Amino acid sequence: MKRTFNSWSVGIIVLAVIATASATAARRTPQFALDPYPSTYQPRPRTDTIIVGVTILDGAGQRIENGEVLMRNGKIVAVGRQLERAGATVIDGKGRWLTPGVIDIHSHNGTFPMPLTSLELTASDVSEISDPNVADTWIEHAVNAQDPAFSAALRAGVTTIQILPGSTPLFAGRSVVVKPVPAVDVPSMKFPGAPQGLKMSCGENAKSYFGEKNKLPNSRQGEIALVREAFARAQDYRDEWKAYSKGSSKKPPPRDLKLDTLAAVLEGEIPVHMHCYRASDMAAMLGVAAEFGFRITSFQHATDAYKIVPQLRQVGTCAAVWSDWWGFKMELLDAIRENAVMVDAAGGCVMMHSDSPIVGQRLTIEAAKAAAAGRRIGLEPPPEHLIRWVTSTPAKALGLGDRVGTIASSFNADVVLWSGDPFSIYSKADQVFIDGALVYDRAVPEGYPRSDFELGRQEIGSAP
Amino acid sequence: MSIFNFGLAMLGAFAAVNAQAATVAIVHAKAWTLIEDQPIDDATIVIKDGSIVSVTRAAVPPVDARVIDAQGHAVTPGLINAATQLGLVEVNAASETVDHSAKPGGPGAAFDIQYAINSNSALIRLARADGLTRAITYPSSGGVAPFGGVGALLHLVEHGEVLERPRVGLFTTIGNRSAAASVGSRAAQWQALRAALDGAKAAASAQTSPAKPAAAGVPAAASPAKPAVSVTLPGAVSAPPLDLVLSGKIPLAIATHRESDVRQAAKLASDYGIRVVIIGGSEAWRVAHELASAKVAVVLDPTANLPYSFDQLASRLDNAALLRKAGVVIAMSLDGVQSYNAGLSLREGAGLAVANGLPYIEGLRSIISAPAEIWGANDRGGTLAAGKDADIVIWDGDPLEPSSLPTIVLVHGQEASQLTHQSELRDRYLPLIRARASATQARP
Repeated sequence: MKRTFNSWSVGIIVLAVIATASATAARRTPQFALDPYPSTYQPRPRTDTIIVGVTILDGAGQRIENGEVLMRNGKIVAVGRQLERAGATVIDGKGRWLTPGVIDIHSHNGTFPMPLTSLELTASDVSEISDPNVADTWIEHAVNAQDPAFSAALRAGVTTIQILPGSTPLFAGRSVVVKPVPAVDVPSMKFPGAPQGLKMSCGENAKSYFGEKNKLPNSRQGEIALVREAFARAQDYRDEWKAYSKGSSKKPPPRDLKLDTLAAVLEGEIPVHMHCYRASDMAAMLGVAAEFGFRITSFQHATDAYKIVPQLRQVGTCAAVWSDWWGFKMELLDAIRENAVMVDAAGGCVMMHSDSPIVGQRLTIEAAKAAAAGRRIGLEPPPEHLIRWVTSTPAKALGLGDRVGTIASSFNADVVLWSGDPFSIYSKADQVFIDGALVYDRAVPEGYPRSDFELGRQEIGSAP
Repeated sequence: MSIFNFGLAMLGAFAAVNAQAATVAIVHAKAWTLIEDQPIDDATIVIKDGSIVSVTRAAVPPVDARVIDAQGHAVTPGLINAATQLGLVEVNAASETVDHSAKPGGPGAAFDIQYAINSNSALIRLARADGLTRAITYPSSGGVAPFGGVGALLHLVEHGEVLERPRVGLFTTIGNRSAAASVGSRAAQWQALRAALDGAKAAASAQTSPAKPAAAGVPAAASPAKPAVSVTLPGAVSAPPLDLVLSGKIPLAIATHRESDVRQAAKLASDYGIRVVIIGGSEAWRVAHELASAKVAVVLDPTANLPYSFDQLASRLDNAALLRKAGVVIAMSLDGVQSYNAGLSLREGAGLAVANGLPYIEGLRSIISAPAEIWGANDRGGTLAAGKDADIVIWDGDPLEPSSLPTIVLVHGQEASQLTHQSELRDRYLPLIRARASATQARP
C-alpha cells in the first residue's frame, strides 16, 4: 500500500513538471490517495537511551525478564540482555515493565473537543452529517490539535492514535493517524507517511438519522444499495482514469473528491474501518466488499464478531472491540465480554479500541478485562500475547505494522515504561517515548504538556 | 490451585448454597468486614436464613453447615452502586424501554419511579452476577426543573421484586446543560429549589391536617409565608418528598459538578438543615472542607479527569482521594456505564481512585459501606457483621483489579446465578470457537 502511494506521488511530481512546459495535455496518473497535506512532524529532542533490568512485553508475543532495550536516533536498535550501551542514558527499569507505545485505532479526540458546548450539539465535527456519503471529507481538517484529550492519552502511554469520523454517514470520510504530541496544527502531529483510512458504517445510525429526515437511507437495504451504487460509480471513475493515464482516452473524468476516496479503496490504497455491530450486518458488508474486490480492514466495535469468526478469518478482516460495553442500542444487545478471547482463540484478528477519551486512557485495562472474561472458559491469554491487542495488532491494521507496535530492532522507538504490570489498575505510565524522545515523564512535576485551553485557569490544578 | 481450578471448585459448591434456610459457612476467607480497616484473615463466616450469624477468625464451622472454602481469597460484602437507573432502562436508544423521566409539565418532585422498576431487566441480572447486591435507582427528570423525582433502593434478589424501599431520596439536577434546556439559568434552578423548600416548609407549619397535600415541585408564590400551589397526584402517598427532605428522613440529591454549584449545595444543606448528597461533583474537591463540615456526601465518577464541559474544568483523578482525606463520605457511580455495567464499573473505578491516592480500604468502602450509609441501607447491608443480610461475594483476586472475577455471589444468602443473556450467548458459540481453536496452531 505504501509503495503504491509513493509511486503515485512521484508520478504526479514528474507530470506536474512536464505539464507546465508543454502545451499538449500531460497524462496525469490518478491521484486517488494523494497526500496534499503531508506531515510536518518533527521528533522531539532525544538522547540515546537504554532501559535495563525491565520486564519487556515486546508486542511480538515475547516476554523478556530482566531485559534491556537500546534506542538510538529514534529507533530501537537492540533488545536483549547485556547490550552495548556506549553513550546511552541508562534508565533502571527494575520492578517495572516496558511495552510498545499503546495504539488506539478509534478516537474522536480533537473533533469531540473539550470543553464540549451546545455549539457542538447542532454542528459537530465528529461527522459531516449533511449526506450519507461524505467520502470527500477528511477528518484531519477538523482536528483541534490542542484538545486536552491528547495529553491525557499521552500520559496514559498512548503513542499512536487514529482519529476517524463518526458513524452517522455510511461513508464518513478519511481518517488520520497522529502522535499525541503538543502541536498547533494537525500536520505537525501527523504520523509521517501513515495511510489515510476510510471510515464507513453499517446498521442503525445512518438509517435512524437520515430516515428521520425522509432521506435515503431509512433501511438497511437502502444502506447497502447506496454503498453498492457508490462503489459501482467508483469502479467507472477508476477505469476512466486508468484509461486516460494509459493513453487510451483523451480526457480524464472530472475530478470527484468522493470518488477519489472510493477508487483508492478499490485500489487497496486506503484501508476501510467500518463501524458495525451485528453479525448479519457485518456479513452483508463483507459481501459488498467481495463483490467489489476490496478488503474491509477492520470492523469497529464488532460486538457480534464471535459469531462470525470463520467469515472474518477468510478475508483477514480484523475486529476492534470494547471489553464490556453493551446493550444501549438494539444492535449491541448480543455483545459479550468474551468477544475478544473467542475471536482470538479461533484464529481471528482482534484488538481493543476506545471510541472514548476516557477508555482511551486505559486500553491496557480494556485488554485485561477482556482477557479475564476468558478465565472461566479456559481462554485467558498471557500478558505477552495480550499486549498485542493494544500494540502490534492495531499497528498492522493501520498499515504501520513494520514501524510501530513492536519492540524490536529497526522499529520506531515508541515505548512506555510502566510503574508495574500494565494490566493492573494500579500501574501508571512512568515514561513515554515517541521516536526515542522522552515526551512524558511522570516524575517531572508540571512536566506534562498542558493544552492552550487549560492555561491560566485557576481551577485547573496540576493533573495527577 | 490455579484461578481457573478455584473457579471450578466454587462451581461445585454452588448447589450447596441454594436452600436459604440451610446453614452455610464460608471458611478460610480473607474477610473485608469494612467495620475494621484490616481484613480478618482465615475468617469463618456463618450464614443462616439469609443473614450473617458471625464472622470469626479461624472458627470451626457449625457441624450442620455446608462449607465453602474460600481458600484465602478476598471476601467482601456485596457491592452497592450509589446511583444507577437499573430497572428503568433497557435499551437506551429505544425510548419506549426507558422509564427514568416524565415529560415537561409532569409531577416534578413527586415523580416516583418505584412504579416502573423492572425486576426482570437484563441489566440487573448481569449486575448481580458481577457482585452487585444493592443499588439506588433514580429518575432523571420529573418534568419540572430542577426536579428529577424520588429514587428507590433496590435489593438485587434473584427471585421476586428487587424494589426494597421506595422514596429514599429526592433527586435534582443543576448545571449548565439542564438549565439551558429548561429555565435558562442555573440561578433560576437554585431559586426554584429554594422556593420549593420554602413553600413546603411554610405549608408544613401552616397546615392543621397531616393529610393535606402540599407543594410538589411547583415554585412557590412570592412570599414564603404563603403555602405553595398544591399538586394532587393520583396514587401519591401522604408525605410529599420535600417534607421528607425537610424533616431529615431522606437526603436531597443534587446532580451537579461546578465548584460554584457545589458550594451552593453545601450552603443549601446548612441553610435548611437538610441532608444533601452531590451526584457527580467533578469539581467537589475544591469544596472539600466545606462539604465535610456540612456533612454533604458525594457520589462521584472516579474516571472523570477531562474538562468535558465548562462545569467540569477542574476534573481530576484524585477527586476521591482529596474528598476522603478531608472527611467527606464518598461513593461511586460511573457515567455511561452506571446501569449497563453497574457492578463491574464500580470495581474499576474504585481501583483507579486507589491508584490515585485513595487508601485501599476507602476504595472498598466507597463501593460497599458508604453507599449503604448514604442511602440508609446500612441496617441491612454494607458490612460483614452479625445480623446483616448475607450479601457476600467471594472474589478470585483483588476485587479492585478489573481483571478479578467473582466466584460466588450471595444475595440474602441465596447464590446468584452466573447464567445471563451474555453467558448463554457465549456458550452457544463456544463449540465452534473451540473447534477452530484446535484446528489452529497453538499461540505463544
